[in-house]
Amino acid sequence: MPKKATRQSRRRFLKSAASAAGAAVVAPTIIPSSVMGLNGAVPPSERVIVGGIGIGRRGGYDLSCFLPQEDVQFVAVADIKQKRRGEVKKIVDTHYGNEKCETYRDFRDVLDRSDIDAVLIATGPNWHATAAMTAAKAGKDMYCEKPVTKNISQSLILADTMRRTSRVFQAGTQRRNLPHFAFACELARTGKLGKLKKVYAHPAGMQAMMSGWLVPEEQPDKDVVDWDMYLGPAAWRPFNKKLLDGFNFEKGGGFVGAFRGGGVLEWGSHCVDLCQWAVDDCLPPVEYNARKDGELMARYENGTQLIFREKGWIPLGSCPVRFEGETGWVEAGDSGKMVLSSPELLAGREVEEIGGYPATFHVRDFLDCVKTRRQPKGNAQAACNAHIACHAANIALLLDRQVKFDNATNTFIDDAEANRLRSEALREPWRL
Amino acid sequence: MNTTKRLTWAAVFLAASIHTFSTSAQAADDATVAAEKEQELLAVLHSDAPAAEKAIACKGLAIYGSSKAVPDLAKLLPNPQLSSWARIALEVIPGDASDDALRKAAGSLNGLLLVGTINSISFREHAKAVDLLAKKLHDTDAQVASAAAVALGHIGNNAATKSLRAGLASVSNNVRSAVAEGCVLCAERLYSKGDTVVAAEIYDDVRNADVPKQRILEATRGAILARSQKGIPLLLELFQSKDKAMFQLALGTVREYPGNSVDTFLPAEVTRATPDRAALIIQAMADRPRFVILSAVLKAAEQGPKQVRLSAIDALRRVGDDSCLSTLLEIAVGSDAELAQAAKETLGDLPGPNVNDEIVILLPTSKGKTQTLLLQLVGQRRINAVEEVEKTLGHSDKTVRSAALIALGETVSLEKLDVLISQVLAPRHSDDAAVARQALKAASVRMPDREGCAAKLAAALRRSSPDSKTALLEILSVVGGKKALQTLATAAKSKDPQLQDDGSRLLGKWNDLDVAPVLLDLAKTAPAEKFRIRALRGYIGVARKFAMPERQRVEMCQNAFNVATRIDEQKLLLDVLKLHASPQGLQLATKAMGTRPLKPAATQAALAIAQKLGGKGVNVKELLSGAGLDNVKLEIIKAEYGAGASQKDVTVLLRKRASNLPLITLASTSYNASFGGDPAPGVKKKLRIQYRINGKPGESSFAENALIVLPMPE
Repeated sequence: MPKKATRQSRRRFLKSAASAAGAAVVAPTIIPSSVMGLNGAVPPSERVIVGGIGIGRRGGYDLSCFLPQEDVQFVAVADIKQKRRGEVKKIVDTHYGNEKCETYRDFRDVLDRSDIDAVLIATGPNWHATAAMTAAKAGKDMYCEKPVTKNISQSLILADTMRRTSRVFQAGTQRRNLPHFAFACELARTGKLGKLKKVYAHPAGMQAMMSGWLVPEEQPDKDVVDWDMYLGPAAWRPFNKKLLDGFNFEKGGGFVGAFRGGGVLEWGSHCVDLCQWAVDDCLPPVEYNARKDGELMARYENGTQLIFREKGWIPLGSCPVRFEGETGWVEAGDSGKMVLSSPELLAGREVEEIGGYPATFHVRDFLDCVKTRRQPKGNAQAACNAHIACHAANIALLLDRQVKFDNATNTFIDDAEANRLRSEALREPWRL
Repeated sequence: MNTTKRLTWAAVFLAASIHTFSTSAQAADDATVAAEKEQELLAVLHSDAPAAEKAIACKGLAIYGSSKAVPDLAKLLPNPQLSSWARIALEVIPGDASDDALRKAAGSLNGLLLVGTINSISFREHAKAVDLLAKKLHDTDAQVASAAAVALGHIGNNAATKSLRAGLASVSNNVRSAVAEGCVLCAERLYSKGDTVVAAEIYDDVRNADVPKQRILEATRGAILARSQKGIPLLLELFQSKDKAMFQLALGTVREYPGNSVDTFLPAEVTRATPDRAALIIQAMADRPRFVILSAVLKAAEQGPKQVRLSAIDALRRVGDDSCLSTLLEIAVGSDAELAQAAKETLGDLPGPNVNDEIVILLPTSKGKTQTLLLQLVGQRRINAVEEVEKTLGHSDKTVRSAALIALGETVSLEKLDVLISQVLAPRHSDDAAVARQALKAASVRMPDREGCAAKLAAALRRSSPDSKTALLEILSVVGGKKALQTLATAAKSKDPQLQDDGSRLLGKWNDLDVAPVLLDLAKTAPAEKFRIRALRGYIGVARKFAMPERQRVEMCQNAFNVATRIDEQKLLLDVLKLHASPQGLQLATKAMGTRPLKPAATQAALAIAQKLGGKGVNVKELLSGAGLDNVKLEIIKAEYGAGASQKDVTVLLRKRASNLPLITLASTSYNASFGGDPAPGVKKKLRIQYRINGKPGESSFAENALIVLPMPE
């Protein structure tokens, strides 16, 4: 059946079905709010006390999802930038109508507060894993923005740490809590598409993420910008405003300078994560090939292929994925729409078309799990597997050849070069 | 060569090196190539190159470095700027040389650099460093001592474990937490190797130590899991703890607990706990689907505090089966709306291989609310029970009949579609018509064989009443496909005014490019003018909203211009051309300027298109030449070029370039060159112009280097 035709039928079906059912939707909420004691005012003792770490533009969005939650009390923010500390305090204080949001330059001061249950980590990617594990060891649960880790080693240690410390970790992979993505992944996971053959991720380019050591500039006062704290676990380099305000400092898997690779992480931590969900969160692929004709093909142990497409998004908005089985296929993207090989796959279900946002569902999932101690959808093990797939793909891109990964030993097979790229030393005094 | 250029060169060199090495690796002698790269990188370290270059060289040595590189890297360990870069390589270079160098450096360094070195020893799990690290546990610098403790935990051999256990009692207070962390790491290692007895002892050591609560929690979790069945009493103790953190630890740990020995104890904990805690315990029970005691969850759903019942009903959604059906049905038709809603949601998803069969069995003997609910479940769960459902279509209660129709809408196959078609054409009760149509629509749009479905609907059209005809046509329009399109086209050209109206209306909303030729034909040949106009507007709408090659879009617009007799539709076409600016569209717009009543709008459109194209680098001057643009009186009032506060007044210059056309050409395609310099280097700039055309004021801004086509003021 032509894709075009099926898409239209489905869109119309969803629209008409929704209106016929009084716009009933499949809500992604896991546990009824009444179970969580949310049917009414939430007493202070039952609120989740939250602090923020590194709340910039993305973090500000996350914050806007946390603040309206009745069972959240946001009480503190830590940021290396004085300006941001003030801005976040103003937002929080305005929301609560008081002046109680405390500000800190060093996030460890937030972690030292025994009244805080959970933290929102929305620093740059350089800090995500280190801050998350420091928070876990301090007894905090956390919602941590993506990409969560900088390399394979960090991914493994993250999953281990969260398990050992029994903390609730939610990666900022909010699409795991969006109904249409969830539905598409469910079709793949439960065999509705037949035996799964290929899952496609669209990381929107696989170019290098530049970082490195730029020309020294005059360093601001520590209270204004704490450069040392900004560098954190990254190797030392002098202050440079472009590194401070540039896009995603040290994101590229530690591949600095003009090295290739690293670009898979930006969107890959979302779309590869969805592919991982589609393959039922199994261990990451075992083989990653060199890029060819704009695609990098990875292969899972069971033969299913994970295809990283370098260019172009299928016309479903950003972060699209496609899952192909022996008997059917499905595509979904941030437009909130899905395209299916057959309307039968909907099986009478109604799936709300809500686009790539809001992340509120994902935040709600996190908060519920803080209370139930269940693993949230973007848990550390799931994030670990998805990130390993991205990092291994980056290494194949960097080396421009095939690499094979052994999930039992977490090493590349007979590949000294690739194995050396699994980790990167942290600057003193930071450790995982 | 300045620093930046040298750094860039170094990075590019390194990137190229990796590529060259990698692609030639199969054919060449890898070791030789790697050695050459290592030599080149070491040469950078030996040189007086800036620290930036040496940093990048360290990064390269992380891939190519061998023991030969270790001495040079080790020399950088005391360097505050390069120590961390050197450790990137030292951490991953295989062999004893790196271990020895790091250990040796740890003997002489102090402060943060020592902490970093210890962390690298930790990463490498260097067993020979245990003695050194054990001594460092008592270092006066708490950061050093803590790093040593965690490093010992990562090494985790007997000696490391022994020193850490001893350290729990002997280290200073501000180091004890790290020692406990190290102990837990050692215990984890032992546990994973099967030495659960010693692991449990170490966990107990930590539990009994004066350490932060998080360490106690970690050790308690470990102590429970390491003891396996013997850990259950401790786990149950946590469930009853007044300490919220301990209770939460129990909730997390029980989900990890291997085997089924713990599950038999959990129902008692539900009974013992306060309702808010009981609700959470039930959720944890349901997260152990292989071992959950279902009868306990079901009992909690039946009676007790409402919060607990809601949790149990929700849990059944994941772990229930057909044995829960009657209870859930009873709750779902009960008087408590909240419980009823929860039960309905669970029934929709209730797992178990026999649930659907049970629902079908219950259906014939059910009555009232239960019967309606069962019919709803047939639809929701898409149970194949058409014959059973069909029997209820004659029920005296409209609610039951409606539920039956909706269930059929969700379940009938193409072969059985006539069941619903007949309900639309001749409903047994007249007030069922609307629901029947809704059900037929739901069924039709989910049919995999839509051509087959459309054929059935089209055949029904011939024997239906006028009202039903409209309904069927509407359903056909959402089914889509060739047959449906053909049927709507035939209706639009029939002799029946109602069918003409329905057909043209639905074709106008058709959501596919395939409708274009049908609409164009209708725009020319529809029986009534109002339908011809409607078809033309629909055709223009297709040209406007669908993705297609611009040449095809312009061709559609030309076709429409040929048919359009009214200025309203002609203006709509100009809007399409403006929205999808293309050189062909500009030509068509300039051609439209030859039609007198359309000239002002066409001129406006042509200029708008030209401006868009100019911004994309298309040479629009050529396209506009000979377009017959009317002369205008253009006055430049004020013009500024720049960004933010850095603006340059270019009024005089633009006045000199202004002519009697709303188009200004500059001396160069570069604004900077034309305006005598860059007012804001490195920043995106804009040109803002206030002007008058034929006395009417206008204002417009242009992206840097865009063609200056001034919109005609309204």
